[in-house]
This record gives sequence, structure tokens and C-alpha cells, in this order.
Amino acid sequence: MKNNPPRVALFVTCLVDAMRPQVGFAALALLEQVNCTVDVPMGQTCCGQPALNSGDQDGTRQIARQNIELLAGYDHVVVPSGSCAATIIKDYPDLFESDPAWHAKAVNLAGRTHELLSYMNDVWGWRPKGVDCAETATYHDSCSGLRSLNVQAQPRQMLAAVTGLEMRPLEGANVCCGFGGTFCVKYPDISNAIVGEKAAAINATGADLLLGGDLGCLMNMAGKLHRDGSKVRAFHAAEILAGMGNGPAIGEPA
Amino acid sequence: MSNAKAEIFAAIRKSLPSPSSATNIAEALAALRNRVNPTRPDRVNGAPDEVFLARVQSPGVAASAERIANLDNLPAAVARYVSKNNLPPSIALQPHPDLQGLNWSGLHIHHDIATDEPVAVGLALGGIAETGTLVFHSQPHSPTLFAFLPLHHIVAVYAETIWPWLEDYTAEFVGQTPPRNINFVTGASGTTDIEGTLVRGAHGPGWLHIILVEQ
Amino acid sequence: MSAFQGRVSSALADATLKIAIDRTTNTARTKRAAAIGAWPEFAEARELGRDIKDHVIANLEYYLTQFEANAIKTGAKVHWARTGQEACEIVVGICKAANAKSVTRSKSMLGEEIGLPHALEAAGIERVETDLAEHIIQLAGEKPSHIIWPALHKTREQVGELFRANHTDPGALASVEQMVNSARRNLREKFMAADVGISGANFLIADTGGICTVTNEGNAELTTTPPRVHIVTVGIEKLVPSMTEAMTMLRLLVRSATGAELTQYTTFHTGPKRPGDLDGPEEFHIVLVDAGRTKMLAEGLAEMLRCLRCGACMNHCVVFRQIGGHAYGSTYPGPMGSVITPSQDGIEQFQDLPRACTLNGQCGEVCPVAIPLPKLIRGWRTKAWVQGYEPAISKTALLLWRFLALRPGLYQFASNIALRFMPIFARSGWIAKMPLAGGWTTYRDLPSPQGGTFLSQYKAKHRKAAK
Repeated sequence: MKNNPPRVALFVTCLVDAMRPQVGFAALALLEQVNCTVDVPMGQTCCGQPALNSGDQDGTRQIARQNIELLAGYDHVVVPSGSCAATIIKDYPDLFESDPAWHAKAVNLAGRTHELLSYMNDVWGWRPKGVDCAETATYHDSCSGLRSLNVQAQPRQMLAAVTGLEMRPLEGANVCCGFGGTFCVKYPDISNAIVGEKAAAINATGADLLLGGDLGCLMNMAGKLHRDGSKVRAFHAAEILAGMGNGPAIGEPA
Repeated sequence: MSNAKAEIFAAIRKSLPSPSSATNIAEALAALRNRVNPTRPDRVNGAPDEVFLARVQSPGVAASAERIANLDNLPAAVARYVSKNNLPPSIALQPHPDLQGLNWSGLHIHHDIATDEPVAVGLALGGIAETGTLVFHSQPHSPTLFAFLPLHHIVAVYAETIWPWLEDYTAEFVGQTPPRNINFVTGASGTTDIEGTLVRGAHGPGWLHIILVEQ
Repeated sequence: MSAFQGRVSSALADATLKIAIDRTTNTARTKRAAAIGAWPEFAEARELGRDIKDHVIANLEYYLTQFEANAIKTGAKVHWARTGQEACEIVVGICKAANAKSVTRSKSMLGEEIGLPHALEAAGIERVETDLAEHIIQLAGEKPSHIIWPALHKTREQVGELFRANHTDPGALASVEQMVNSARRNLREKFMAADVGISGANFLIADTGGICTVTNEGNAELTTTPPRVHIVTVGIEKLVPSMTEAMTMLRLLVRSATGAELTQYTTFHTGPKRPGDLDGPEEFHIVLVDAGRTKMLAEGLAEMLRCLRCGACMNHCVVFRQIGGHAYGSTYPGPMGSVITPSQDGIEQFQDLPRACTLNGQCGEVCPVAIPLPKLIRGWRTKAWVQGYEPAISKTALLLWRFLALRPGLYQFASNIALRFMPIFARSGWIAKMPLAGGWTTYRDLPSPQGGTFLSQYKAKHRKAAK
């Protein structure tokens, strides 16, 4: 592949686009390190998951068709979120089960789409070089990435190569943080009870940093930690790997 | 056919309009059965009676157990158990001919079982090594309640009737009409209904003592 | 506030309930993990279990016919009930014909589902629940809150108080052991005095016409052996072809439910007492109940008919572990209940159940027969959306968002306007309160956005680079 770098589309996700562009720039930095030719298609909005999980299948199909066309022609599509990547990889093909033409296109896109952290590890065997971060950190496995895409070992393997970073295990790292997309605003009381337990587990690690691979979950946990006065700071793992760990954490002013 | 049955079947037909032939169903079932062996817990490596004895005394089953050379030694083993546990020397004896033929002198024997019977002695049809399970078939010489009413249940089982896996037991009786009750007994009665805490002796026996008879 | 949300609020405010839920579900998860960990063949067994159940459901008519014929051959009386009410009428009819004054009952979720406890009481028959948890629930006048541990919502302290008030000579009730012993003493004679014993069934064995019960306590056998009549109420989906398949299903069921390999008592009941037998019932009735099973089949929920009722999905559900079983307001709580209940009792009334789920997938992952619970839960959301049950506020918001998401230029424009306003509400990077964001900010701070959208920042950088 070295002689013929793949053309990669970065699909940043709606949350990164609006709430934390730094994750998008971290993803760009990582992809450039493996010599991908990266393009950011300007027609991107959202993968459609809010509609899908609210039961609006027709609406999701409209958004999916828009993305399938937008992302046609790239060798790879990389998404810095297990949840959004899983929507494209697992749900798009299911949505077009009774529409052979679009189903074929959806399957084709699914085969080219990767979650960022597993892409860096599984496709490129990439490791950070000369990245310093003298902190202790713990890692939460977001559910979609973990269960739909098997993202678990990859971020930890790459983070292990960050100089000075000490990883601490998180009790119940594979248990949902209570975000659940629209769930967290439709049932805030239940979501709060769940994230309260998660925040307690994070605090119990004594780590300085909370890392993860999905901005939605990270905002949920960081927002709860901050409300409760915790000093734990949260980053997307890609930011640490791209050497941006000395910048502002989630919620910190630039 | 009752109305209810006819309507239920009609509703099934609506969702499953083209039933398979009996031959096709039998073939599909045979294919499923071919997949059983690799799914069994790979643990019955030694002699089945040895695996069985280890299993019944494992923390999950938590029965007590011992070996005796032959059935003639059973009354002495029972007497030892009764005395060691400070139990009355009076036992309800399952009306099995093998047990009735033994010399029970020194113990008071009765064949009825009381609701709050302290000790009963029985003979199992066999055992299953995989899970440390005793198997009882209800029959005139093996009433079901003998395994459920006593506080202490002492059970003799012949080493030659230990099946390795659960399916080895079922294979032995294929095609036969089962007895009214087949009871698999795996340890003493227990409950986790209060806060998930395991407590023995919920309704059935609080203690299960297994005596493996070598011959 | 919906009735569901009202129940959720009271559940979340109940600190004792949370202690009780944690004590049992934490133990259950730990024990299941150990049991599955000690069984490397689990993944293959799970696929086999799934395929056995699918095979039976695909050939339901064949296996039901086979089961009925074999059961009749052994002397059982087989009854068919389309609805729960019909099943209750059959059971009460059998009890009345037997002149039953007292009935013992061994825990059965189907019995709860069809309202059998109430039907027996309405008929003036004394009902004695013999499963320890059901006994606790009966004394408390409550409903089960879990399908394996019906009294999961009660702490040991609460059980102690209940027994002190209701048991004859309870003695000391300081430990769980003492409580269990008191229940043993108090229920002993009732087992022997009952005229009819009623159980459910974990499996129907098609090729013998027998049924299988799985208990830890031994109460099923003490319920079904002493009385003159044994009645089984069971759903038509509980079939397995033979004892061989029952063994595979038992391995999966018990490890997933309690973490044991087999429960203490697994009993196959086939027909009534035989000539010469010293104990056992003279009459053996099996009531085969539809009560919505064929409806689930018709509604595309065939996968749900695999369910073994092990409870693993709820033990691993983050929502169940916060709100407990009663908050669901249904017979079956947790993930499996969120799929079954809308089918049985209507999506309009129970639309919150499939919605109050984070779709995190752990339930589907632990299910011993690989029911795709998240997919089925999302399927109910689709039905609710299509049928117009999405609440107006969230529907309007979602449609507006969809309108923008399909128009990328407008979407970027709108995003950048919103992002310009949001920092107004922020204090050193965090937003603690903002109009329209109450769902988030009631409990969490919202990080203030980092300037404009990624796309606009990226475009600006590239323009600079090009210059």
C-alpha cells in the first residue's frame, strides 16, 4: 500500500463536527502518519443514528442514501466513533434488505468503512512514536464499538506505546455509561443513575484522565464527572495518540 | 379437536404456511444432534466414577461423599454418618430390595417417610459424572418423596451406573416410556432467593451424602 | 409524565431497592461469568441452543402434535388455551372438579403472566406459594420483580420483618439461614395437605410427552408429588424434540440463570402415578397456553420464542439495575420484557419499555440462545414511530434535525449559528443550564463547543494553506 496510498474519507460524525473538532483534527493527524490521502467530504452531516434509534427507518434510509453516495469511490471511510461506524457497517445493509440495488451499495460501503482506532491498529499496525503524556489514564469501552465492531484491545495496545502514560483498569469498563443517544435526554433520571455509577468507578481508579473512542459517551461521563466536582479530565483516545493530550480536555476552554 | 387447539394451529399455519415433511424434520433434527458432542464441557477425562466423586464434592455441588467396596458395607457407613452428625439412629429406608437385604442391626429401620424425616437412605438408579448428578426413577421401590422430605439424604450409587455425560444417560432410555418422575439431584436443596445468598435446606434435604459402591 | 416515568421516579428514590437489586444482580453476574468462563464450548453450545429452538418454532405444529399424542399415551390429560383467561378457567375447573380446598403452586412465570394466582383466589381456593421468593411475595401482597428472583427487590431485613409478622414460631430471624428455616417449617405441612399442585414447565419433551421442571429448593417436587392432582400450565413455545435436546438447553439455561451447572433438582414429569408407585398424583393435567405466542410469531418476533426465561438479560441490563422490575409495570421486566410486553399488552400503553433502553447490546451478548434483543427492541421503536406514538416534542425535534441532515449546506449554516450562541451559556468551558437542554443539563454539565464546526474550521485551514 505504501506505493499506492489509499484515498480515505474522514467521516467525523455530527458530534465531533459540532462539539469537539479537535477529535477530527486528531484523526487527520493520525491518518496522515500512515500516509493516507485524506479527504473530508463537505456534504457530510450525520450517520442517521438518532433517526434509526427513534424508529424512523424511512428517515434513516434517506440519510443513509445521501451518505452512501457521498462516500462512494473512496478506498476507505474512517469514522472516529464505534457507534457511528457500526451504524454504517451493520445497520445500513439491514435497512436496505428489500432493495437489492441500494443493499449492494450499502454492503460495499460497509466493507470499506472502519472505526478510527481499529483502523490504525488492524489495517496499519500503527504505534505512536515520540508521543509523551505523563499521566495516569483509564479507558471506557463504548458499547457499539465493543460489541458490534470488536474494538477493545486495539486502543489499549496503541496507548501502551505512549511514553509516560500509565493505564489503570476500569471496573465495569464494558458496561454502558448510560448515554444511549436520545435515551439520555428522554430518560434523564435513569441515565443519570447509570452514569453516576460509571463516574464513581472512574473516580475509584484514581486516574487523571478518562479515555474512550466515542464522543457521545465521553461527553456524558465528562459532564457527570464535572457536575460532581471530579478532577478527572476526558479525551478521545485519538487526541492522546496524536499528541494533543497537552491541549484542553473535553469542556476545558482553549 | 377442541376449538382452542384448532385455532392455535390455524394461527401457527398463518405464520408458517408450509410445514416441512416428517422426513425433513427428522433430517434437520439429526443434523442438530451431530453438533452436540463438541458443545459438552470437556471434563470427563478420567474414569466416570472418579470424575463423579470429584464433581459431587466440588464447591458448586457441595455434597459429601465416600467410597465403599460393596453394598454390604453400606449399613456401617450409614451408622458412621449418623453418629458423626449426632443424628437419631432411626432411618427411613427406601424400599429397594438391594437395601432391604442388608444387615441393618444397630439402626432402627422404617419404610414410611415422615414429613420431617431426619434421615433417609436410598439407592440411586445411577449418576452423571459431568455434573455430579444422582438420577432417580420413580417406581414401586423408589418413591419420589424419599429424595425430598428428609433433612439428611444418604444415597448409595453403584460405580458401574455412572454415565459420563448427560447425553449418555438419555441415550440409555431412548424409545422407552419414562417413569412418572425422573429426578436429577445435584447437591442438597438450596435457595438464593434472599439477596442471592445461597442457603442449603430450603425445602428438600439440607445435606446430601453420597456413597459410591465399587461393586 | 407517563405512568412508567412515575414508577421510575419512585424506584430511583428508593435507596433500599437499589441495595436489594445490587446484592442479587451483582452476585448473579459474577456467578454466571465464572460458569461461562469454565465452559469454553459455550459459544458453540449457544449456537446449537439457538438452532434447536428455531427448529422447534419452525415446526411448532409438528412437535405440538407429537407432544400431545405422547402425553395422552402416558395418561396425561392435555388441555389447550388460547388466552390466559381460558387457561385460568381450565385450571380452576380442574380444581373444582377435584373438590380442591388448598392448592400448592411452584413458581411459574406463565402462571404470573396469565393471572393464575388471582384466578385461584377469586375461585375461593387457598393458594400456597412454595418457592421461597414467591412465598415472600405472597406474604407481602406484591408481584414478582424478576423472573428468577421474584423477591429481588426485598432486602434480608425486609424479609425478616415479613416473616416475623406472618410465620408461626419464626424464632430468631437475624440471618438468611434462620429465615429459610422458618419458611421450611411453615410450609412443610402445607405441601402434604394440598389437594392440587400446580407447576409450570421449563421444557416440554415432544417424544415422551413429559415436562421438565428446574428448581433449586425442591419445592416443585414437593408441590407435584403429594397432591392427588398435578396441573401444569405451560406456553406452547417450551418444546424440545427430546431429552437429548433438553440436556443442551439445561446446560445453557442454568449457567445463565444462577451460574450453577445444573440446578439441585431437574425433574421430568411424565403422566400420573403408575401401578405400584407409592407416591405421585392420580391425575396429571397439562394446559398448553398460547396467550400471545402465535401473535408474536405473526408479528415477526419468532426469535423471542427462543427465550428460556433465564433472567441473564435483566441481570446485565443497566436500566433494570437502576429501576428494578416493578417499574416496568409488566409481568416480564428488563430487555426480554421490553420485547414481549408490547406484543402481549399493546405498544401504546407500553411504548416506554422499548424506548427506555440504551441499546448497549449486553443483553443480546449474554442471552444463552442468542436472541437479538437490541434489534427486537429497536423494532418496537419503529412500530411506535410508524403508529405515531413518538411524543410530539421529540418527534418535532427529530423531524427538524432530519430536514437539516438531508441538506448539508443548511445543516452547516444552522450548526454554526447554534455553536455561536452556546458559549453564551458557558462558564469556563461548561454549560450548566441552557434553554432546550434540560434533558442533559439537569444532571450533567455540557461541554461548550470549541468554536465553529469541524468542517468550517477545516475549510478555513485549507483555504489558508492554499494561499
